[in-house]
Amino acid sequence: MPSSTSGTASGTEPPNGTRYVNTNLRDSGAGTELRGPVPSAPAPGLVPPRHRRFLGFDRNQSIWWGAFIVLALFVAAPIVPTLVQSVRTKALYDSTGEFSLGAFARLFTEAQFGEVILNTLTFAVLTTVMTLLIAVPIAVVVTRTNLPGKRLFETTMQWPYYVSSLIIGLGWMMIYGPAGFITELVRGIVGGQPWDLYTIPGMALIEAVSVAPIAYMFCRNALLQSDASLEAAAKTSGAPPLRILFSIVIPMMRPAIVYSAVLVFTVAVETLSIPLIIGIPAGITFFSTFLYKNGLQSLNPDYGLLGAASVIILLVAVVLVVTQTRLLRNAQRFVTVRGKATRPKPLDLGKLRWVAFVYVAAYVVIGAGIPLLGIFLRSFTFILTPLRNPLESLTLSNYTRIFEIPAYSGSIVNSLVVASVGAVLVTILVFVVALVAKRSSFRFRRGLDYLALAPQAMPGLIVGIGLFWAIAVLPFGLGGLIHGTLFALIIGFGFRALPSAYGAIAPSILQIGEELDKAANLSGADWLRTVRSILLKILLPSIASAFVLTFISMFKEYSPAIFLQSADSKVFGTTMLEMWAQGATGPVAALAAIQIAIISVVALVASKYMKGIQHA
Amino acid sequence: MHDLIVEGLEKQFDGNMIIRDLSFTVEHGEFFTLLGPSGCGKSTTLACLAGLERPSRGRIELAGRVFSDQKRDVFLPAEERNLGMVFQSYALWPQMTVEQNIAFPLKLRKVDGGQRARTVADVMEKVGLERLGKRYPHQLSGGQQQRVALARALAYSPDLLLLDEPLSNLDAKLRDQARVWLKRLQSDLGITTIYVTHDQEEALSLSDRIAVMLQGDMVQVDEPRAIYKTPATAEIAGFIGRSNFLPGVIERGGVAGSDVAIAVEATGETIVGIAAEDLPSGTPATLAVRPEGAQIVATQVTRDEVNEVLEVEIIGESYLGNRVEYQARYGDVVLQIDGTETAPAAEVRLLVPRTALRVYRA
Repeated sequence: MPSSTSGTASGTEPPNGTRYVNTNLRDSGAGTELRGPVPSAPAPGLVPPRHRRFLGFDRNQSIWWGAFIVLALFVAAPIVPTLVQSVRTKALYDSTGEFSLGAFARLFTEAQFGEVILNTLTFAVLTTVMTLLIAVPIAVVVTRTNLPGKRLFETTMQWPYYVSSLIIGLGWMMIYGPAGFITELVRGIVGGQPWDLYTIPGMALIEAVSVAPIAYMFCRNALLQSDASLEAAAKTSGAPPLRILFSIVIPMMRPAIVYSAVLVFTVAVETLSIPLIIGIPAGITFFSTFLYKNGLQSLNPDYGLLGAASVIILLVAVVLVVTQTRLLRNAQRFVTVRGKATRPKPLDLGKLRWVAFVYVAAYVVIGAGIPLLGIFLRSFTFILTPLRNPLESLTLSNYTRIFEIPAYSGSIVNSLVVASVGAVLVTILVFVVALVAKRSSFRFRRGLDYLALAPQAMPGLIVGIGLFWAIAVLPFGLGGLIHGTLFALIIGFGFRALPSAYGAIAPSILQIGEELDKAANLSGADWLRTVRSILLKILLPSIASAFVLTFISMFKEYSPAIFLQSADSKVFGTTMLEMWAQGATGPVAALAAIQIAIISVVALVASKYMKGIQHA
Repeated sequence: MHDLIVEGLEKQFDGNMIIRDLSFTVEHGEFFTLLGPSGCGKSTTLACLAGLERPSRGRIELAGRVFSDQKRDVFLPAEERNLGMVFQSYALWPQMTVEQNIAFPLKLRKVDGGQRARTVADVMEKVGLERLGKRYPHQLSGGQQQRVALARALAYSPDLLLLDEPLSNLDAKLRDQARVWLKRLQSDLGITTIYVTHDQEEALSLSDRIAVMLQGDMVQVDEPRAIYKTPATAEIAGFIGRSNFLPGVIERGGVAGSDVAIAVEATGETIVGIAAEDLPSGTPATLAVRPEGAQIVATQVTRDEVNEVLEVEIIGESYLGNRVEYQARYGDVVLQIDGTETAPAAEVRLLVPRTALRVYRA
């Protein structure tokens, strides 16, 4: 091994004769950050690679700034036009409009926005309460007790990731709606109308069923992370299982419960599906359906009003999301010990475990199982009613009808294109942004973090409205090129999918020891080379899972499309809504079944493939 | 000839001064250790040398090449410094084999394939890793990983080798072996080495010179023996090895290195020791004595020209295998004194050469 530390030894031959590249020794720093007459003697031995700079700007900085600018434009695109529109008298692209706050006043006088706010808040509060009543007990008994069949429940509680709340809503209508299968069955027994879902509590129940698994996951993670020895300590001091549950386990979950409450509340405030399919026929207007009615169903839309309403909803959402972030930070502070290899023995509930079993099973079967089964049955029958044996009315006509009508079959292709192209673009963007935010010396790296998570606070409909306006004001006729295309949908859906994709990659970057990067720097690799040669390969599994996650969420997405789509760029969700409005229940069921089938296949293949990556 | 020159180096994080005005030089081929407790700034200093942190002030120069000079806004990034570094965690790239790990820096230096393979084989042999080239890092033991990390840092003949607590993740036995091996390898290669550790045994046994760091300051830079025998401050005496401290007031003062007399609070007795710094009469001071610096003797022994004698009472003992540590009450303080297994009588005296008694300003 040559010792190469002598400053004057440019001519010495190392003992073992291995003399490598020795031309092109460092000069006095021209073109490098070394400015001025800095004396630099030639370095002997191998020369570390030099990285070209242009006006003090190296290739790394170009990428950092590029990522920052692309992300900032992307995030600003729907937000800025919305803010501007809310204070203009005419449409954004109409230059005769003037500045005015009149729209905000009209909201509460003519448009009865106050009632909308009241409806939305009632709905959100009820949804949150019901969600917690479902999710918290299930999380506790599934994670911590000897519940019968807990393995099965652990898997089934993950279904909402594969099914959109729109489909749950449609499934509920087919089964428990006024003419639903179960409703008819019960009506046959008790006489009159057994229940009415066309009320705010009814809608909140359906929403709660569809979001409960999100709250369940947060509570479950909190339970898995909490220190098991606390329970062991309670046990050794003589506490019986139920006592441990109520004195130790549940109080420790408080941060997770509070956090999921705010999360669910946020989802309920901005949701579109249930308010649209049930709220509109019931004559109850919420935030999202207010925008829907005033933007789409009105012949001469009041854009100022639409902008003002959007801004108010946006503000509510921002406050909620900021609260979430605060709470999450707080919740993490509660995590005492991580990575305990030994889990405590599940608490023995005795006979009570059968009560717990009935509770969990009731949710899984009544909430999700029957409605989903109903969708599948409906998709293969002319009509689904207890008065006729479904097997006698079997048909494939619901499916053939979808494939006969180009507008319907086209929406399947559109969804696939939007989801796959979008997932590729979003994953690449998020990968670069996360690396710059977490692993570079870029001056505004903290800003990237905030930008990437900002879309959380944007309800899908407002993303659609905002982008619609942004496209309308694009110069050089660019707007005309984008308007109503799948590309417009990719931007809108990608915007919505950004935070969760970022959330899938950023934490796994933090898990990689920073010393790996530093070792590469010392070896002579700059930021880009370190990313390419070291980090990319290590991160491949999480890039793949971010891709699959993004694909699935963009495949299920539809709310931004309501304002962005044209007749040729309809997607699954918007087509289902349209057919539902026309009363074509059978084809809706068939379309829903196809969507569930595609997502299940993707998820199944992905989980096999990802295991493959992990074993390698 | 100076190889590494550091002048006025400072680093602040959010207004906190992590290292303060460090200036030192390292000779070519020298094994130079930064020793200090955690949080003393030694790792930050190393990161500044490596180019992983940008100093807030100061200048770093290696063999005539300026790495960083804040006054002139010069900062050479880590990847262009041509340094080798071994991290505490070894930082081996998990997706690459041992060979690929070692070859990566050579690839970056555009060394062609044949030459690269020869160099990799050569350096693997040097660190004793033959036949492990196709393994992945997680298939290696801790000791082997440490060698791979070293091989990777040496393969491209770096101008300076930086070692950040490289032995701290090994178990005790292995650590002793690795220490001997590392010292031999370094002196064979003759590469200038900066070593960071909080372990004084490592520092004392490996280094040509040690820089002791406390709270962001470099408080003493000297050869291992000098650091141990003549610590510059009471703090260093307490940090390196063990020391008993007896506070008191100077009765007869003197300049650094001369004999001074101190009246200790514990008993009011006057004891003569060597002044570690200038100590005029009347200065509050503290007397330091190492547990191995005193000898337990019978009560008949009295003080003489070169030795002090302290009257103590043995009140306890701790058996430590290779030695026994006794607790000796001297006035109202308890001193830790090393002794043999033969239990002394309760009333004994301690015989301490004056050269083993160092007096510091309190």
